[in-house]
Amino acid sequence: MIANIIKLGWKNIWRNTTRSAVVITAVLLGTWAGVFLSAFFTGMVQSYLDNQFKLTVPHIELTHPQFKDLYRPEYSIPGADTIISDLRQRSFVEKVSAQSLASGLAQSARNSYGVTIHGILPGRTHGVNTYLKEGTMPGNDQQNPVLVGSKLAERLGLEPDSRVVLNFQDAAGNITGGAFRVVGIFDSFSSVFDETNVFVTQSDLNQLMEVGDQVHRLSLTITDFSRANSYAQQLRTEFPNLRVTTWGEAAPELQYSFQMTDLMMYIVMVIIIIALVFSIINTMLMAVLERTRELGMLRAIGMNKTRVFAMVVWETVFLTMVGTPVGLFLSWLTISYFGHAGIDLGAFSEGLNAYGLGAVVYPGLPPGYYFNITLLIACAALLSALYPAWKTLQLNPVEAIRKIN
Amino acid sequence: MAVIETYGISKIYNPGKVPVPALNGVNLTIEKGEFTAIVGPSGSGKTTLLNIIGGLDKPTGGKAVIQGTELGGLSDRELVDFRLHHIGFVFQSYNLIPVLTAIENVSFVMQMQGRPAKEYHQKSMALLKEVGLEDKIHKRPSELSGGQQQRVAVARALASKPDFVLADEPTANLDSVSTADLLDMMLELNKIEDMTFVFSTHDQRVIERARRVVTLVDGKIDKDEIRAA
Repeated sequence: MIANIIKLGWKNIWRNTTRSAVVITAVLLGTWAGVFLSAFFTGMVQSYLDNQFKLTVPHIELTHPQFKDLYRPEYSIPGADTIISDLRQRSFVEKVSAQSLASGLAQSARNSYGVTIHGILPGRTHGVNTYLKEGTMPGNDQQNPVLVGSKLAERLGLEPDSRVVLNFQDAAGNITGGAFRVVGIFDSFSSVFDETNVFVTQSDLNQLMEVGDQVHRLSLTITDFSRANSYAQQLRTEFPNLRVTTWGEAAPELQYSFQMTDLMMYIVMVIIIIALVFSIINTMLMAVLERTRELGMLRAIGMNKTRVFAMVVWETVFLTMVGTPVGLFLSWLTISYFGHAGIDLGAFSEGLNAYGLGAVVYPGLPPGYYFNITLLIACAALLSALYPAWKTLQLNPVEAIRKIN
Repeated sequence: MAVIETYGISKIYNPGKVPVPALNGVNLTIEKGEFTAIVGPSGSGKTTLLNIIGGLDKPTGGKAVIQGTELGGLSDRELVDFRLHHIGFVFQSYNLIPVLTAIENVSFVMQMQGRPAKEYHQKSMALLKEVGLEDKIHKRPSELSGGQQQRVAVARALASKPDFVLADEPTANLDSVSTADLLDMMLELNKIEDMTFVFSTHDQRVIERARRVVTLVDGKIDKDEIRAA
């Protein structure tokens, strides 16, 4: 009998084709809009996180346990080469880069400012490459080259070929420094970063700090940054003499943004679903109330309450679930297309850059999201069904028969 | 053999507020194979009596016994099941399920009874043939005339193999030709299958052809006339 109830429920939704088509279209568009909007938000947050990972915070970093507290040159990573080789063997590690770091003062003829000095290996790709505004990256063929941020350049009155003196501590604790020539200026999304970071070659920095070929930080790019905590835990066990810091620990605001993405996706969808639920309840109530006589007749001829209830539930589920797969499919198509082509928000790039966002957003969703949304909508359909179905249970067949005659 | 027995049935609507008596001590026995019309002026209690006999309403006093089962002793769920298996209903406005075809409407009751698909399909075909609609089995109610819809309703009422068929004003919406056709068909079924029909009516054409006419006045049986076949 259940098959017949389902069949009847299906036929019932087509009694009023226009009304059902309107609801189905609303569900379809609601699903599409909700899922696409979620994908857009995810793309924006992903773009934000990618930018941050590229420039400011690695997925996981390994340092000497005390380095981050004092930034002293002697707190380097012992046996860094062996550790790097070891890390590169791991399946979850995509890229390992080593940097020397120093905290110091940048001085020009006009002004001075506190900066973090990054010693990088020339020729390797660094996140900052992308933001090169003018000039070149520091190379071994240049004499004490330095790359400065646009904000710092502005503050110190620097331009390509200008001289800047960098002062910092050496391994013995003495103040040391050197005159560097500006070879390039970068302009990233973060003016704070641009103002407080400079890049020199690792050999120049290490020589001045007298630390040989030591490095202070190993930055790991991993295959799935959301699993940074578990990988970090593993690394902590294996490298007990190093401090292992995840991106979430180094930049809690990023972790918050990441967690908010998930929440935002579902908030958007839940708001849309709530609106749909009321629309469906309204439609189903109309459908049920205008069939009072017929439902009464069904009860009179021997259809029990459970079956009448089930019939109305099935009608509601059909009404909701017909539009959902089409909406999901359309979302998938749109997201797949824009996920590759991107949505160009160039007109707002300045504003977006200020927030660490790229001008092109690539919408994307985790695959599980589609399944979760289907479940969410199915639950909403059942929820929408309850009130109209309950109304049918209140029906007295005698009163229905009175209405008949 | 009595199919329907009522003992001192009374029914008062709104007993706590403004009591409206509808039935007042109705004793009635209907034997198998009878073709009975319950007649009377509006408000005489015809529909109320049919509702009580049909297990759709409960009497304020007295009891209704169908094939030896006292309806007052059944729970709501048991009553629904009882109606499904023992009573066929025909309504004034046909009340077929508009989204189902004629054969699906007739089959529906048997599907609810849990009969096998092959059986309900064959039985539905046979019933629609019996009511003269073998060429309309795939038509929806909206594609049938009033008379044809009422025939489908009769076929549906018979589909559950009921002990009797209750029809409340079955010809009220039909023209003379359709009324005559429907009565011919019901009398034929009554004669061939010994099916018991009980119907309320105002229609003189129906009253004239009934074998037994029970007249209700003010909730009481005023006259009970049995005619020769």
